[in-house]
Amino acid sequence: MSPALRAQVLVGAAIVSALALVGVYLAAGGSSYAPAKTQDPCQHRAWSNPRGLGEIANQFSNSALDGAACQLGVSRETLARALATPEARERFSERYGVDDEKLARAVRAGLLRAIDDAEDAGALSPFIAGPLRGTIEEIPLDQAIELINNADSILGNVEGLLGPAGSLLEELLP
Amino acid sequence: MAEAPRPRAFALALAVGLVLADSSIVVLALPDIYRELDTSVAGVTWVLVSFNLVMALAAVPAALLARRAGPGRVAAVGLAVFAGAGLACGVADELSTLVLARCVQALGGAAAVTAALELLPATVGSERRAVAVWASAGATGAALGPALGGLLTELVSWQSVFLIQVPVALAAAAPILTVAKHEAATGVLQTELRRTGRPHLWANLALAMVSAAIAAALFLLVLLLIEGWRLTPIGAAIVVTVMPLAAVLGSRIGPLVPSTKARAAAGAILVSGGLAGLAFLPKAEVALTLPPQVLIGIGLSLVLSALTETALSGRAPQAIHGGWTISARHAGVVIGLLALTPIFTADIAEQRQDAIDAGTAVVLDSRVSPLVKIDLAQRIDERLAGEKGKVPTIAPAFEPLPSDPGEREEIVGLREELQDQLDRGATHAFSPSFLLGALLALLALLPIGLSRRVEL
Repeated sequence: MSPALRAQVLVGAAIVSALALVGVYLAAGGSSYAPAKTQDPCQHRAWSNPRGLGEIANQFSNSALDGAACQLGVSRETLARALATPEARERFSERYGVDDEKLARAVRAGLLRAIDDAEDAGALSPFIAGPLRGTIEEIPLDQAIELINNADSILGNVEGLLGPAGSLLEELLP
Repeated sequence: MAEAPRPRAFALALAVGLVLADSSIVVLALPDIYRELDTSVAGVTWVLVSFNLVMALAAVPAALLARRAGPGRVAAVGLAVFAGAGLACGVADELSTLVLARCVQALGGAAAVTAALELLPATVGSERRAVAVWASAGATGAALGPALGGLLTELVSWQSVFLIQVPVALAAAAPILTVAKHEAATGVLQTELRRTGRPHLWANLALAMVSAAIAAALFLLVLLLIEGWRLTPIGAAIVVTVMPLAAVLGSRIGPLVPSTKARAAAGAILVSGGLAGLAFLPKAEVALTLPPQVLIGIGLSLVLSALTETALSGRAPQAIHGGWTISARHAGVVIGLLALTPIFTADIAEQRQDAIDAGTAVVLDSRVSPLVKIDLAQRIDERLAGEKGKVPTIAPAFEPLPSDPGEREEIVGLREELQDQLDRGATHAFSPSFLLGALLALLALLPIGLSRRVEL
């Protein structure tokens, strides 16, 4: 093989090898191997055919987190981690400049949105939704956070929240 | 002088390989240095940058000194200074001391490397062979650096990375001492200054661009393996050993093709392709880094030796033009580090957050009860806070697993999905920097194309 041909073969082999590697990696999904995008909390999340208290509670929590996160301008995921512990909440408050009052307003707004979503999805009777809204507007921050984190308590123990009238309303849950 | 050419040739190649390995050998030791010396990330980067910067600035003056005071003396003294500064690096207990010692080490290294090029023709018999030995030793050293540093850091300590260089440098200096003894200072500086032609602009520019790209390949891959995929330094060292092994293969291919331009072009294309491969990794798996590393290893061996030969061909004195190539290479490394590190740092912070959000979304959208979710969120948050900005290992947040088989399966699935999101984030964070490196290597084809056709 002449020196000129060897040079051409070397450069050609380099081009083919480089293109083949990149082509194979791209075909295998190399350009899309990135973290999944999270949903904008201000867009409503569709409730997917909720059955049973557990699923309703899950979707209620998510709607409430979405609503609160939308109001605070953070992601649902960031807020969920922030509400997990008092220490996490303190770090969140410092980082985003959110005091307890602002957080309380956002969490209450989130819970109200969750009630709307649950009602729209047919998961919550209007007979319960109305009084719940009134109750949520009054409750303190810690209790509001507890309601997001443990939505079973709001949906499974309506009596505790609404007083004696709750036992009647509880029977109206789907 | 010609009494023992083989040991001397080996000693000179060892000296060149040792010094040029030193520009990258500390990469895997940086996390340990960062912790032990209680410094900042920006501060610890200077352990790497200072050496390369001083090498870039000192190489040509060191070559002039070698011409004036005698290459044997300068090489021997340079290696002694390199060894002494290596000792100082190994016992340094403050970052400022370490960085200062690294600067002194680079001064000694620059003297040793450029003087070695002046000594090699007489030792190996021809100028052409001397250039080939010098260039190959440098390429091999640069490729071996991270792997050696990783092994030493893991098996012994970060200090050992520097301390091990002391006996090696002194051993390399011993055969050169006989040359130094026979030398007399000739005072040829003025003559040499007049005789020295202009450096080969295009070859040196291409060297700088390719070196910046190779710096990206070496440093970023190591960081991806350790910081992103949580490999131990020794694990990462074993993985990146593929690159020097492939460089050995490249050094076998090189002599088969006489055209330096073809070798340089092929090498730059392979380095670029390998870096693009690393930018488009389809999964966070170590095995997938091997084909890109093979391309980069072969490529760096071809391109560095070809461009060095081109820069030196037909130019005299060799030491001074060799000094220019050393300057170009290390300036490239400095530019690569300084340009790519901020991009990479910003990307990894952003991707880490995206990955954590994506992982949290997986947990929130799962069917486990809200109370379990909150418990998980609490433990995940503790892991994240504990890792202080690094990509965390998330598995411990899911321990202990529930005893109920159904719940256990669900939680294990969540753990895997969350870890997958973190792996995606860590891998994706490196993509822009690898791509930029690939682009730099590809752009080096321009000066390679413009360089004077030299067939050695």
